[in-house]
Amino acid sequence: MNRRNSAGLMPSDSASGATLHTIVAVMSFLACLALGGVLTLSRLASQWTDGLSGSATVQLLPSPQISPDDQVKEALSLVTQWPGVLSARALNRGEANALLEPWLGAGNVIDDLPAPQLIEVTLKPGQPIELEGLSRKLADTVPGAQLDDHSRWNAELAGFAASSAAVGWSMLLLIGLATLAIIVFATQAGLRTHREIVEVVHMIGARDIFIAKEFQNHFLWLGIRGGAIGLVIAALTLLGSSFFWDSRATPVAGQYLPQITGSPLLYAWLLMVPLSLGLIAMVTARLTVLRVLGRLQ
Amino acid sequence: MVRFENVGMRYGLGPEVLRDISFTLEKGAFHLLTGPSGAGKSSLLKLMYLAERPSRGSISMFGRDIAGTPRDELPALRRRIGVVFQDFRLLDHLSVFENVSLPRRVTGEQESAYRAEVEELLQWVGLGNRLNAKPATLSGGEKQRVAIARAVVAKPELLLADEPTGNVDPEIGARIIRLFIELNRLGTCVLIATHDQRILERLPATGIFRLAEGQLTSTTQKDHLLQEARRA
Repeated sequence: MNRRNSAGLMPSDSASGATLHTIVAVMSFLACLALGGVLTLSRLASQWTDGLSGSATVQLLPSPQISPDDQVKEALSLVTQWPGVLSARALNRGEANALLEPWLGAGNVIDDLPAPQLIEVTLKPGQPIELEGLSRKLADTVPGAQLDDHSRWNAELAGFAASSAAVGWSMLLLIGLATLAIIVFATQAGLRTHREIVEVVHMIGARDIFIAKEFQNHFLWLGIRGGAIGLVIAALTLLGSSFFWDSRATPVAGQYLPQITGSPLLYAWLLMVPLSLGLIAMVTARLTVLRVLGRLQ
Repeated sequence: MVRFENVGMRYGLGPEVLRDISFTLEKGAFHLLTGPSGAGKSSLLKLMYLAERPSRGSISMFGRDIAGTPRDELPALRRRIGVVFQDFRLLDHLSVFENVSLPRRVTGEQESAYRAEVEELLQWVGLGNRLNAKPATLSGGEKQRVAIARAVVAKPELLLADEPTGNVDPEIGARIIRLFIELNRLGTCVLIATHDQRILERLPATGIFRLAEGQLTSTTQKDHLLQEARRA
């Protein structure tokens, strides 16, 4: 029968060849990894700082001026009455040893060390607290007591997260620019290759915008197809690394180093990569065609 | 409808290929353009279908001065012109139906609006059974008929044809000539560049332009030219 499709005016086997698909897929793969890294680090930094900013630690170093029991008792009494403190509790020897165990290993050696007594302080969420005053008061009234409000850790983690995110976003920007340059080149090559087609279509009354739409649709789907291929490979890579990590990671690493995958939200964000590449390709092709045709008769 | 006044044309910095061309085509006119190879027939047609601009002189198409027409307004003028290129200029990756539909498609029309007309036209030129064929599978004559169908599918006000019957057998050639005559009766102004004796004999041309060495040397009547052709 006379079944027909409205084929695109540009042959599909030219500018959108396997090479271009491969390049866009690689760009998408790199962009997915960069975006995944940025999002994962941002989430982890947020978790770390949230966890640390809601707590503080009192460290009680052995002092000849006061017995260990009195030291703990006085410190707890002072801290629990301080405005903004929700609760405070002294860690027993077993809990303290558990904190050191990942670095020193299990065994009697920990028991022989002069480890300081620790008091875990939980702060009331959303309520301001005068930690500097508490620190001074502790130092003045309880010999050997030191308050660690984790601010140094917080600042370092925030700085690490910000610099990592900046690197990730820079990579995404560079990938976007590289994709843009590739599409400009491919569009110009397509116009040169199909000059005859463009001329004929012009001669029969097509406006520049009609020809630009043909190219932009062509490159939109090229970007989405290539991007989707890159996304699938990146997702498999992340899942594979997650599986490898889970099977190999030591307890210490598992506890303190970032878990790369797992968030469905992360994969939802990664879906934006092929869509963005498609949009970049579409807009770039459209502007390139209009610019080139605008120079013609 | 078309007015050329002292038009000259050159490609780049080369010599003038057309010199001091002046003529007028009225609405509903039927003209033939003849002359030896290299005389400038194709260049003259290029000026008429707005593929080139003159290096001097003035051209008016459909009441618009071409020199003063902005580039983005040229497509609207081109849609009023149908062109049969000597080398057909079909798009090889499109089917016969899609090639013929192009002038309707570029205006933004949906396929459902023109499908029946295109199929009828292709039936008329004897290609009703080749709608889905690609140009590479067509003979020279079939390609020519596709090119002609594409030129007339949008019912242009001006039809320009470069050797339109050069590759077809006498029966199809006669059909094409009848199609041109019918279009002319419906008001289309027709200009055919040809050496084809059948066209010279059969068409009711209101005028014949003769080009030689880039100049329009004479605007003769058909009988006069036929006598020249028979003497040659």
